[in-house]
Amino acid sequence: MTGENEVLAEIGENDIAPGVTEAAGYSIREGITTYAIGFALAVLLTVASFATVKTPLIWGPGIAVMLGVLAVAQMGVHLVFFLHMTSDPDNTNNALALAFGVLIVLLVVFGSLWIMGYLHDRVMPTGDMQQRMMQMQR
Amino acid sequence: MSTVDAFMPSGRGRDPYRLGHGHREAHHLARGHGEGGPARKRVVVAYGFWIFLLSDIVMFSAFFAAHAVLQTATAGGPTGRDLFDPMSVALETACLLVSSFTCGMSAVATGARSQLWTQFFLAVTGVLGVAFLALEAHDFAGMIAIGAGPQRSAFLSSFFALVGCHGLHVTAGLLWLGTMMAQVFVKGFRPNILRRLLCFNLFWHVLDIIWIAIFTMVYLIGEGR
Amino acid sequence: MLGKLTWGAIPWDQPIPLIAGAVVFALFFAVVVWVIVKGHLPYLWHEWITSVDHKRIGVMYVMLGLVMLFRGFIDALMIRSQQALAFHAAGYLPPEHYNQVFSAHGTIMIFFAAMPLVIGLMNFAVPLQLGVRDVAFPTLNSTSFWLTATGALLVNISLVIGEFARTGWLPYPPLSETQYSPGVGVDYYDWALLISGVGTLMTGINFVTTILKIRAPGMSYLRMSMFCWTSLAANLLIVAAFPILTATLAMLTLDRYLGFHFFTNEAGGNMMMFINLIWAWGHPEVYILVLPAFGIFSEVISTFSGKPLFGYRSMVIATMFICIVSFMVWLHHFFTMGSGGDVNAVFGIATSVIAVGTGVKVYNWLFTMYGGRIRYATPMMWSVAFIVTFIIGGMTGVLLAVPPADFMLHNSLFLVAHFHNVIIGGVVFAVMAGITYWFPKAFGFRLHEGWGKAVFWLSVVGFYAVFIPLYGAGLLGMTRRLQHYDFALWRPWVLAAGFGMIFLVGSAVAQVIQLVVSYRQRELLRDELGDPWDGRSLEWATTSPPPAFNFAVLPNVSNEEPYWEMKRGAIEAQQMSAEPDYKPIEMPHNSPTGFITAFFSTITGFALIWHIWWLVGVGLVAAYAVFVWFAWRDIEEYEIPAAEVARLDRERRAPRARWLERNAAGRPA
Repeated sequence: MTGENEVLAEIGENDIAPGVTEAAGYSIREGITTYAIGFALAVLLTVASFATVKTPLIWGPGIAVMLGVLAVAQMGVHLVFFLHMTSDPDNTNNALALAFGVLIVLLVVFGSLWIMGYLHDRVMPTGDMQQRMMQMQR
Repeated sequence: MSTVDAFMPSGRGRDPYRLGHGHREAHHLARGHGEGGPARKRVVVAYGFWIFLLSDIVMFSAFFAAHAVLQTATAGGPTGRDLFDPMSVALETACLLVSSFTCGMSAVATGARSQLWTQFFLAVTGVLGVAFLALEAHDFAGMIAIGAGPQRSAFLSSFFALVGCHGLHVTAGLLWLGTMMAQVFVKGFRPNILRRLLCFNLFWHVLDIIWIAIFTMVYLIGEGR
Repeated sequence: MLGKLTWGAIPWDQPIPLIAGAVVFALFFAVVVWVIVKGHLPYLWHEWITSVDHKRIGVMYVMLGLVMLFRGFIDALMIRSQQALAFHAAGYLPPEHYNQVFSAHGTIMIFFAAMPLVIGLMNFAVPLQLGVRDVAFPTLNSTSFWLTATGALLVNISLVIGEFARTGWLPYPPLSETQYSPGVGVDYYDWALLISGVGTLMTGINFVTTILKIRAPGMSYLRMSMFCWTSLAANLLIVAAFPILTATLAMLTLDRYLGFHFFTNEAGGNMMMFINLIWAWGHPEVYILVLPAFGIFSEVISTFSGKPLFGYRSMVIATMFICIVSFMVWLHHFFTMGSGGDVNAVFGIATSVIAVGTGVKVYNWLFTMYGGRIRYATPMMWSVAFIVTFIIGGMTGVLLAVPPADFMLHNSLFLVAHFHNVIIGGVVFAVMAGITYWFPKAFGFRLHEGWGKAVFWLSVVGFYAVFIPLYGAGLLGMTRRLQHYDFALWRPWVLAAGFGMIFLVGSAVAQVIQLVVSYRQRELLRDELGDPWDGRSLEWATTSPPPAFNFAVLPNVSNEEPYWEMKRGAIEAQQMSAEPDYKPIEMPHNSPTGFITAFFSTITGFALIWHIWWLVGVGLVAAYAVFVWFAWRDIEEYEIPAAEVARLDRERRAPRARWLERNAAGRPA
């Protein structure tokens, strides 16, 4: 089987490989347009992120939140325009796998932060303890 | 369709325990959703690689978690604000972002079966990847030169491990890219080469997604600390 | 030139490891020489070492697992005998050696005995039950196996060259940092696990892809056998958890090799971060082992009760529930770390909640047996023993999930008894049941039933005799890993546990005898039909042993128990289906890739452990060369001609037709 046939055969099969666009009449122009739109949005969001740090317009503690929102948005842009993730039923398997991965990432990162943050508040790390003891001696 | 069974399924067996088992609703005959039999090799390979990428992201999440916890553990040493050069980070980000775009362009060229444009865009992707690595190496060397290496503090350990791990992935990606270009050149667009190109595309785009998390969390938020 | 490696690395002054090592190496070389002299090497190379057939790889996994189970068992014997002797005395194992023994025992049992056994059974059974010809990536599968073998090899090399870790089976810092463990023990542990971890991860990827993307026509998700479902859940957990282990050990390695400060005392390092991360892998790992075990019991109980599994859908839901929730309980391994009431309460409740999923399963198994025509063959006996034993283990687990109780019992022998209770009662019993159940499918003859029952009774009695006393000692406050003690109240419990080991030794001997007797009586125990247990799932639809391609034509699945359906249909119609139209079958070529990769991984791992940097370079360059070489190969498959397929399938059909004639009256099955 040649490559063309294999790619074409996939269309309309209710199952699609990750990273593949499923539009039946997929043309070069459409391909370039998709990537170009994605690229433009990504550049916009990246510039916004870097500008957020510099701008005096945002209240200090809000900056991290703003950066987080921008990062998630940009990841979404990459997933949709570069990795061609859609909510299409053909993509269910790919999207579910991604959802599982995201769940684990969130559990590991935020779980660790919660646990270790709590620990930090209650049990002083060795370094801090030495510092405090020095201060108290003064 | 013929069946493998030696025992011909000519009718359903009567089984008193069958109550409530088995569902008869119509199934759509999708391959890979099971009903239509094994999925095509292209779907299988890409899906397997997709699962690998997710596992890789989970691995990064452990490094991210470590960095998030240790970000303030500077042990009296330099902080992110002292060390990070926003200009350099912006340049690195630009390199990777543009390379993600050119990588996508190479996929479009592959779709059009253009050997020339595929090679061209892969080469551009590679050059941008090398530029990114050079910038990163320069940053690392600068930090180590002023005594802010990974041995200085837990914060710097986690920084070098996380960003270095991403750098190692880019390096591996570049080795793969070179091998891929040689394969496309020698073998042309055979089905197995097309599958590998698809996987390479996934890999490169995911590296860029991880970089978004790095420049946001490590550099931009880290600078604010 | 040789880094840290000198003649001093071999423990000339310690007779126990030296003699043990010498015996093992002598045996190994004897086998190698025998293989070469007898001319078996080509057979071994073509049929096994380079094989990418999931059934062969599964068998090799199980063999590796059994060998390492034996090695781990010897460590266990040493631990129990040392404790039995070391009351007001030093015993016969000096502390630095004793510490290596219990570290090696845990590491080997989890990573190189339990994991290969479970993965081996998955390898063997899952593609057959899915009704397909192989896993998604056969060559990768072979590579996974050989990388696991690399890890096992490195752990065993540490017996005679250098030392093994003295830190326990999880190397908690700061003890495992260079400052307190300057030797190569922790490095052996690190690299063995990093390398075999890559193999396990690839297995996970392979099986998730296989189960989700490669199934026989008509096999929707809710028609997969329960073992396939639990394997899917276990492999999803592998994919999500093993990268965390890799990352955590990589951080420890960076600390040790390059002076990083992730977990050190100095420079802001946080040793609790290691404990947090390692258990984020460690708890899912428990379920990676026990979920496939649940699957095996589901298959066995349903088959030997002659009934479909009760509550199939609730079983699926319970499996996936456990799969997700197992990622939300990891803190219960370190309640005493000091994270405070809120955190401990949340994780304590989550831990209790996860027991609900298991509870659902236990009731389903009981109701499957209820009203069934139960045959107490050996696999079924293991299953019933499992239900009883696992409930005890599960209840002590729920007890430990209560944080205040955990503060009392943490790090005690009560905990040790608990996790042996669930891992032996769950995983080991399941593996024994699974091996007995699928052995005829793999080799074409059944295992000897009488000796199987001997193994069963000796193991079950031995298990209770060893571990119930340990619960007692734990409740009296005896902590784990004691090299010697002088508290008289513990003494009888420890002696009782040591005495119980005699039964387990007996069961190990009986196991060897069973294999030998079964092999000698193989003609008597022959399984000609390919369906020795009156099975219900697709693996029994093919011959024992199955041909390389498993199924001449992929089966068409129309319900949860496809083979049972076929069988009932044939009995009612009193005739075989018409011969299908045989077509040539494409099968993947054998490949030495896995073996070569593992060869270079072993060299690289060994070089890294001993800081032989030039050899590390050689290994890495060789790895890239293998990658390019593998990428360049063009012919990936060979074709089995239709005539050959037809011949093999007729061989399968003939005994079944005869059986049908003999039982034309319509045996109720």
